[in-house]
Amino acid sequence: MRIFVILFILALFGFGIAVMRIEINRSGRTISQLQNEVEIKEARNQYLQLEISRLAGPENITRLAEEKLGLVPAKPHEIVVLEEE
Amino acid sequence: MFRQQNNAPFVFNVKNRMRVAGMVILLAPLCIFVRLFYMQTFLYEEFSSKAERAIYNYLAEDRLRGKILDVNGRELAESVRTHSCGVNKRYVQNKNKTVDFLSETLGIPKKRVLEKWNRSSNFFFIAKKIKPDNYIKISQILRTKLGQGLELTPEYERIHPYGESALDLIGASNSKNYGLSGIEQMYNRELSQDISKKRAKRARRGEIIYDRKLKEELSVANVYLTIDAVAQFYTESALKKAVELVGAEHGIAVVQEPKTGKILAAASYPVKDGQSLAFQFTYEPGSTFKTIAISSALDAGVVHITDSIDMSGREWVVGNKVVRDNQHEKDFLSIPEILQLSSNIGAGKIALELGAKNLFYYIKGFGFGTKTDINFNGESKGNLPHFSKWTAVDTATKGYGYGVAVTPIQLINAYSAIANGGTLMQPHIVDRIEYAGGKVEKKSKPVKIRRVLKEETTQIMKKALQSVVEVGSGKRAQITGYNVAGKTGTAEKLSKEGGYAKRSHIVSFCGFAPVSDPQFTVLVILDNPTKYTFGGTAAAPVFKEITERLLAMKGVPPDQLDFEPTPNKR
Repeated sequence: MRIFVILFILALFGFGIAVMRIEINRSGRTISQLQNEVEIKEARNQYLQLEISRLAGPENITRLAEEKLGLVPAKPHEIVVLEEE
Repeated sequence: MFRQQNNAPFVFNVKNRMRVAGMVILLAPLCIFVRLFYMQTFLYEEFSSKAERAIYNYLAEDRLRGKILDVNGRELAESVRTHSCGVNKRYVQNKNKTVDFLSETLGIPKKRVLEKWNRSSNFFFIAKKIKPDNYIKISQILRTKLGQGLELTPEYERIHPYGESALDLIGASNSKNYGLSGIEQMYNRELSQDISKKRAKRARRGEIIYDRKLKEELSVANVYLTIDAVAQFYTESALKKAVELVGAEHGIAVVQEPKTGKILAAASYPVKDGQSLAFQFTYEPGSTFKTIAISSALDAGVVHITDSIDMSGREWVVGNKVVRDNQHEKDFLSIPEILQLSSNIGAGKIALELGAKNLFYYIKGFGFGTKTDINFNGESKGNLPHFSKWTAVDTATKGYGYGVAVTPIQLINAYSAIANGGTLMQPHIVDRIEYAGGKVEKKSKPVKIRRVLKEETTQIMKKALQSVVEVGSGKRAQITGYNVAGKTGTAEKLSKEGGYAKRSHIVSFCGFAPVSDPQFTVLVILDNPTKYTFGGTAAAPVFKEITERLLAMKGVPPDQLDFEPTPNKR
């Protein structure tokens, strides 16, 4: 009888370990999936940052200012630098 | 065990039966144990390598590179993470569906996908450097039946947000992210890290499971240039316009801060990555070199600014050479007039007066015939033969910029020395390097190489060069409200047949502004223009355009004393 009890406890322990392993695997997959998503979003974010850099670059700003707003570069003598009082 | 004590016969009772059964049952695990022991001990190497191959993949990791930025931290070159998509045919479940998916997602014709499929034995890359959107589409199906056998390998792409801007300086790096030219090559060690192999886990369906350690947080440095992206843009756009207008083969424009030696912009057009003509181009400067010869003679005291030089007949025979001035009809010219009218006779006579040895050492002192410490890849040191080999003709012709080959960076640095009061500064192209740990190495601290001219000489020269722009050949470089100093140059190019090509010129203008407190030295060179073949007509307007925009950008106030601002009028 005692041996059956021991075997039962061992089986229970084994089952517990198996459940734990399955849970670890499942969590591992979820983590891997989330890491993947983070990486994708980071890569996308980097591309967007570069797009911002490109759009904020002098070439683009100058083109837009000239084409959309009809602005022209100021001559240096037209710029009056205000001195602090 | 089975023999009873006192030699009693073996009784096949329940107890003994159980013993036998137990032994039989134990025999199987014992065999397994022995076998396992054998495998673990004697076949360990063989099995562990089999397991290694089945579970892991060793991948050559792409080099990560640091950023190259302008002085204000605008990104000029940056690496971004992209992916390559590979196909492991062994794991693919449905060939047709996979091919259709790849063709549709990556925009590759189905025929080409199939060609690659049929050519390879098992694994092949179907696309490299795929963008995040496609990466998302592929990564989403990786865990489905359709995605079995597909692999996404990370790699890095070098991106230049400002397109071709400063690309001649920045240079290029190859697909292994190794710097090949320009700054990418010069600072390759700082920008990159050693190639290493990373162990990546292979999942059941064949896809690679990446470790976070593959990400970018590594010890690479960012290189900040002294270049200002806005100044660079102004310089490049003015140069491009001019090259196209005058039909030149190519053009060069360089902007330097005379007090610090920092290069604010260095443009070549047409642009070739890593081929900055500001450092690599060598040419005979022509009249822009008169400034060097005349300032040297004034500094040495062999001539005085009030002296007049005899021009009788506008023809001068030196050795076997006849030098002519066709641009004026005066019999005598003062030294400022020699510069204003760009007289070869005047500059030649002054050079002879100074003497070969003195002229050589002054030219050497200005930094000609020596590479700058920038050491840009392919940088030329120019050509300055030793004075012992000069004839009288050589000395005279060097006075007006022939028989000596210079680089744009040498010439602008020499003009900056005049602008800053006589000190030759070390030119800088890299401002600082920021290492991963936050350590910053400053590279552009102003370094005085040597004093080349006395302060008084530079004051005289500044006035003389100012007169060139006010009344001389450089009128087109005038800027409203600002005193500008500079010198035009029109040099005949060397002919392939020997001698000089009469119809092939290099035109240039080098100057600085405002004269009272020079902020920018600007050099413009146009190689072989077909229209406007003089420095004063082709290069001076480009100087004006660039300098005007830089003065406005920096908010430099006008220095002409009688100037009154009229903001509403253009």
